[in-house]
Amino acid sequence: MTQPVTAEESTADRSHGAGPRGRAWRRRLMRDELGVSLVLVLLVAAAGIAHPAFVHKDNLLSIAQNSSYVGLMAVGMVFALAMREVDLSVGGTYTLCLVVGAVLIRDGTDPWLSLLVTLPLAALLGAFNGLVTTVLEIPSFIVTLGTAMLYRGMALALADGRQISNLPAGNSFFTVLGGTVLSVPTSVWVLLVALIVFTVVLTRTRFGAQVRAIGSNPEAARFSGLPITRTRIKALALTGLMSGVAGALALAFFIAGDPTVGQGYELTAIAACIIGGTSLAGGRGSVPGAVFGSLILSVVAAALVFFQVPINWTTFATGAVILLAVALDSALRRSRGVGLKQGAAAVVSRLFRRSA
Amino acid sequence: MPAEHVGPPPVPPHPPRTVLAATAVGKRYDGIPVLAEAGITLRAGEVHALVGENGAGKSTLVKILSGVVRPDTGRVLLDGREVAFATSRQASAAGVALVSQELAIFGDLSVAENLFPHGLPRRAGLTSNAEAERRARPVLDELGLRLRLDTRAGDLDLADRQLLEICRALLTEPRVLILDEPTSALPKEAVDRLAAVLLRTRGRGIAVLYISHYLEEVLRFSQRVTVLRDGRVTLGGAEIATVDLAALVTAMLGEEHAAPEPRAAPAPAPASGPAREPGAAAVVLDSVTVPGRLDRVSLTARRREVVGLAGLQGAGHLTVLEVTGGRARPASGSVRLPGGVAPRSLRQATGHGVAFVPSDRKRYGLMLDRPVWENITSVSWLGLHRGGLLLHRRALVDRAARSARSLRVDGGVHRRTGELSGGNQQKVVFAKWLDTDPSVMLLDDPTRGVDIRARAEMHAVIRALADEGREGRAVLVASTDLSELVELCDRVLVLQRGRIVDELSGERLTQQALSVSMNAGFAG
Repeated sequence: MTQPVTAEESTADRSHGAGPRGRAWRRRLMRDELGVSLVLVLLVAAAGIAHPAFVHKDNLLSIAQNSSYVGLMAVGMVFALAMREVDLSVGGTYTLCLVVGAVLIRDGTDPWLSLLVTLPLAALLGAFNGLVTTVLEIPSFIVTLGTAMLYRGMALALADGRQISNLPAGNSFFTVLGGTVLSVPTSVWVLLVALIVFTVVLTRTRFGAQVRAIGSNPEAARFSGLPITRTRIKALALTGLMSGVAGALALAFFIAGDPTVGQGYELTAIAACIIGGTSLAGGRGSVPGAVFGSLILSVVAAALVFFQVPINWTTFATGAVILLAVALDSALRRSRGVGLKQGAAAVVSRLFRRSA
Repeated sequence: MPAEHVGPPPVPPHPPRTVLAATAVGKRYDGIPVLAEAGITLRAGEVHALVGENGAGKSTLVKILSGVVRPDTGRVLLDGREVAFATSRQASAAGVALVSQELAIFGDLSVAENLFPHGLPRRAGLTSNAEAERRARPVLDELGLRLRLDTRAGDLDLADRQLLEICRALLTEPRVLILDEPTSALPKEAVDRLAAVLLRTRGRGIAVLYISHYLEEVLRFSQRVTVLRDGRVTLGGAEIATVDLAALVTAMLGEEHAAPEPRAAPAPAPASGPAREPGAAAVVLDSVTVPGRLDRVSLTARRREVVGLAGLQGAGHLTVLEVTGGRARPASGSVRLPGGVAPRSLRQATGHGVAFVPSDRKRYGLMLDRPVWENITSVSWLGLHRGGLLLHRRALVDRAARSARSLRVDGGVHRRTGELSGGNQQKVVFAKWLDTDPSVMLLDDPTRGVDIRARAEMHAVIRALADEGREGRAVLVASTDLSELVELCDRVLVLQRGRIVDELSGERLTQQALSVSMNAGFAG
């Protein structure tokens, strides 16, 4: 599907036809997200060994909660990246939706009904990115560089540069969306649902296949009669929508609309996607990988606190993690099809060869 | 400069002395010989033409002479001494300059920077535009290029860019100048300028090797000609006065194709069998004009008919495919697909049963990083939205496997498409269109870069495609391979400069006739 066929698979299916498939896709899924999930587990384990409090349930849940906003954006971003597009405006969309929601609620709109405004707005902002990209034939990198400031600027103007507070914190909107369900933060549940739904959308629907096909070879897609314009707008609308969902959840959690939050979220979301194995060259994307990626970033940030690393080193550490994770993943990927054991050996030997 | 100026050549100031020679050179790629015992001698002050069909070995010989490729056997002699250029830079330093077919222009740099790619001339340590101007201007004037040196090279039109590259080669003051298809991008007026330049290079004693498809030009510009066929020299350095167009074509194609005995080819083509009746008109072009590319072209292609489109590069045969497939829009005239629909875009045309199979399959045809089955089902499922919203992997794989089997794609449908051989990749492209059951097929060089066996298979497939389907299909084939057009097509339309100038079918459809028709009266 998304991924290059492994050697094992191609021998199994050397003959024409489907061949023995069954759990094959699940195996493939595990393999593709193996590198990134391994990194995640190792990080948590390492931190847990040094500081047992790190692996306490509450701490892990709070890490998951912290990662959920960027995680949702990263889920959307996978679709943009898999299509060779990029959306730098997700942070702006996130903030604008958060502020619009806050303003509506402050002015007396029912908090739940505000979702009927903010979520369609988010999708529209994303679709606008797609429309401008298509109509003016400007790369989405440049378009969204502009709209990122446009959207954030609207949020700043709307909030008059100040935080919007005095929201009815007792409303079920804030207690449910900003609270916990079965003692797990609601935003983590939402992330989990998004993870499942959009994994299916990307890998098992026509829309997902179109996104990946266009990303794999746009010219071939054009010659094959694919609806490129429509797919691009839909994919970017989806990316926008996911930022809107993140914004609404953040509003419910913080019970305030701060127009200065979400700075740099777009790059964090892109980093999460890349850590998770989504290719910037398009054609390949992993929704679970993006979620794991955002979890890794969140774990690192939390671990630094436990290890009492000065706060100013957080950015440095995040950069290091991105590079390490991507290196590990690409090493694993290259040694695919030679079996897990040899793969691990290849990774180790490569690491040592590099350092030698 | 008009043709009559070429007439009797001025007496060269040097005696006809051999500058560069290749003797008995051979070269194999992957065990397949592309050149065998080929030889050529270039004399000072002559224009020596090199002609041959695609794949005859011209490019390889040129690469050997210019040091890009080392021959397996044989020697290259410069001034009688054996040379083995390790790089093209060495060749250039030794006085062998190559202007290649692929334009090597840096679009973002200025004309001056393009003329001196190894660094602008310096004065007092700094690059000097005045010095560049002083050196380059005479050569530019000679080529009739009235350009400012600070113009961005990317802003020049194709012809000027081509001349710029020739200018760059001349600035190295070469003793041998190799021009590989220099006029394919040039309008007639620029070709005349080039003719004048060639005349002057003779006066300077430069040996020019001139590779061209345009046989009329060859006869007009050169003093001697060498013809290659299947890697061997079939006409070696003949004086131009002793040959004519027919002789050149015979040397290029071989006696068997030159004789007016059509369809002797052992192709499995049930081609012109009288049993096959063309069906209803499927594609109708009426006086279609695309400025600079097509000039009032009218044609009708019927179902169960394979119509060939022949022409030299830029003659417009590809544009016919593009306007029919919705890739280009005519400025005037009309294009009608089955049902009277006018093609507006690739996507819309695809929806109306058009399959456009471009020649560059890696770029336009395939997702090389994906398995075969995804490629095969991409048009029907992703383009035409046949099949459900959800991925029914098993159904798609089965369907792809059926198509793959019927076209004998080797290796199963789960292999990464990039791992397949060229012939198998092209079969995958066909399979994906077969999967949609189109009514019109537009094929651009359908067997480029595939081996003989795959080529024969493809031809059988194309014939079968025309006859299959509910009412049969109309197939339009543009090809640079004349034998392909002869073997495959019911009739072939010949284009020159955007106009249909000839139609060949039945007895008259021979490679010889095609070649003559494509070239006839061209340079005049």
